[in-house]
Amino acid sequence: MSSLEIKHLFGLRGVSKHDIRLILDHAKQFREILERPVKKVPSLRGMTVVNLFFENSTRTRTSFELAEKRLSADTVNFTSSNSSVKKGETLVDTLRNIEAMKIDIVVVRHKGTGVPKFLADNSNAIIVNAGDGAHEHPTQALLDMLTVEEKLGTLEGKNVTIIGDIRHSRVARSNLWGMTTMGAHVTLCGPSTLVPRNTELMDQVTWEPDVQKAVANADAIIALRLQKERMDDALLPSMREYRNTFGITQELLDCAKDKVIIMHPGPINRGVELDSDIADGNHSVILDQVTNGVAVRMAVLFLLAGGRNNENA
Amino acid sequence: MKMRKPCKGRLSNVVLKNAKYWNGKSFELRSEVRLNACEGSETTEFDCNGALVLPALFGLGLDFMEPLRDDVYTFADGFEAMRKGGFYGGLYESAANPIDDADKFTAMVNRFKTEELGGKGFEIKFLGAYSKGFGTDSLAEMVELAVAGVAGFGDGSSAIPHSRFLRLAMEYGKMTGKRFFFQPMDKTLRHSGCVHEGAYSDMLGMKGIPRIAETIAAYTILETARFLQVPVHFKQVTCGETLDLVCRARRVGIDVTCDVNLYHLLLDDSCLETLDSAYHILPPIRSAADREALWQGVIDGTVDAISVNHTPVLRQDTVVNFEDSVPGALSLEVALPAIWNKLVERVGEQRAVELLSTVPARLAGAAPAKDNVIVLSPDRPHMVVESDFAGHVCNSPFTGKELPSSILATYINSVWTEL
Repeated sequence: MSSLEIKHLFGLRGVSKHDIRLILDHAKQFREILERPVKKVPSLRGMTVVNLFFENSTRTRTSFELAEKRLSADTVNFTSSNSSVKKGETLVDTLRNIEAMKIDIVVVRHKGTGVPKFLADNSNAIIVNAGDGAHEHPTQALLDMLTVEEKLGTLEGKNVTIIGDIRHSRVARSNLWGMTTMGAHVTLCGPSTLVPRNTELMDQVTWEPDVQKAVANADAIIALRLQKERMDDALLPSMREYRNTFGITQELLDCAKDKVIIMHPGPINRGVELDSDIADGNHSVILDQVTNGVAVRMAVLFLLAGGRNNENA
Repeated sequence: MKMRKPCKGRLSNVVLKNAKYWNGKSFELRSEVRLNACEGSETTEFDCNGALVLPALFGLGLDFMEPLRDDVYTFADGFEAMRKGGFYGGLYESAANPIDDADKFTAMVNRFKTEELGGKGFEIKFLGAYSKGFGTDSLAEMVELAVAGVAGFGDGSSAIPHSRFLRLAMEYGKMTGKRFFFQPMDKTLRHSGCVHEGAYSDMLGMKGIPRIAETIAAYTILETARFLQVPVHFKQVTCGETLDLVCRARRVGIDVTCDVNLYHLLLDDSCLETLDSAYHILPPIRSAADREALWQGVIDGTVDAISVNHTPVLRQDTVVNFEDSVPGALSLEVALPAIWNKLVERVGEQRAVELLSTVPARLAGAAPAKDNVIVLSPDRPHMVVESDFAGHVCNSPFTGKELPSSILATYINSVWTEL
């Protein structure tokens, strides 16, 4: 089957191995296109994509916008700061007004868990989640998976360790679901105030409080960005202690495999979750992640739009 | 000899045929039961076909939101909901309009008695506020409120500002002899949580409210109650740990009663997976283990009553994503059909009637149901639709769901309502 089983991309929990494989395989093809002199394909010509961002975003929005333009879609950017949302318009009204302008796909980022699903329940557009609260950020996880496959050949049987603020991380959740579906072993590690306390429904992963043990067998390490507001909320005593305990330093890397790859969803707090020499060093694949982000988002948009086109036909 | 009431409006004498009538201890099949409104009013005959005729209910936790948005939900809607659900009375506590002085209390009572609203005859009791405007650290005029007739003092489900104010409020309010009704919740531990902190909230990345937000507040209240010898009631207990505290407090002589919200007995936090804002209820719906602990409390008698906490929420405040929705659920219209069968299965008919009618009324200082009755078919399922609810609201987790039993008719204040 060459089309997706899903109609929207809300998250990776419950998404089949078939669908993830299809997205990654298409992303690989788009990755090749991105290396060509002419990087544009006509796949979404005539379609309109709205980037509906209720939260600040630079790289995800830019990456989506670039993916849309590479696919020849018409794009509209909508942020809450320049919209009627500021005037009290409801989420549904905002969406319906935009939808009335005959759009096809909505890429949405919002602080609330489940907003993409809510919008899909209340509209006819294809919805792509670009991050909803601490719930999911599926395209980030897909680009992480693509990067692991690109660098290590496969996800099957690989050990992936995610370090940092797991509790508030949509990236960690999406990676947890997606990577385990694809056969990777995922280990999560972070300070006790920043890891979920109730992990019964996330028991397919290993929870390791000791960071040295967490990295020892890792083929890939994903360092999560530490949000500075966590300090104000008394979740951590200081950046310094965090860096010394959970930061990816050369000393910590010495405990890991020689060929381990270092990933980060960006933007990096250099000297906090990741030392500069590591971020810029030989193990780092962070810029490959950024390139793969465009390819993955092209694949997602292409496949979801293709599914709708097939339905209409 | 039954009291004859003045005949007005839709008053009706009723003859119920083939009813299993509640005799105070059990249901007994009677070929005919006569309920008389007044001389000269029309007589309605209704064949119950073996359905149950049980005492009408008393609802703990009514809030009709007026005057917040009286274009959407009014007292009249609330009374209609009570008739539909078979409630002859309730304990009212207004979050929108705290009753913090005697004038407000008198105005509220008079408003309820306004005949055109249809509220006359309902057995409504009111909780006064112990703080001005709820959640502040200024004392309300509790002595005058008590003289005016409030049933007790409540917090409007607001968190207690600080322990010293709790002590002072209870110490001052002790003069009245009234009970304090608290929904125990430590606001700093609640923080910005909106759901139960557990496996589902962690899986979904939603901000949780831990059990200790309830138990720590409950412990503080109980210790203050012991220190001052003031009777207290816990509204909407959500976990077994709080019930343990209640048991321990009773053993050392603290006068403490408590209720459990019917939604906390019927749902658990697996409903969060739907991300449906209809499940946004505070205090939050907790885990399956918590739900079972509450049932144990119902069975062993720790829980005194089942509350309804009827809260209309404007439609535009529910048609949003979960975390941005306004919490609250309608319950008057669906409470009995939703819980009756499970309750009888667990505790039997007599205790079920006590939990839903007799004890809630006693806690509020209200009269018993007398001739107010409900005709309930326990084995006829009912699909809940939006039009089942009074007013322009339908915020219930049961909308679109099938309930195991259905109310066929109610007879409240001599008004016969067939559904």
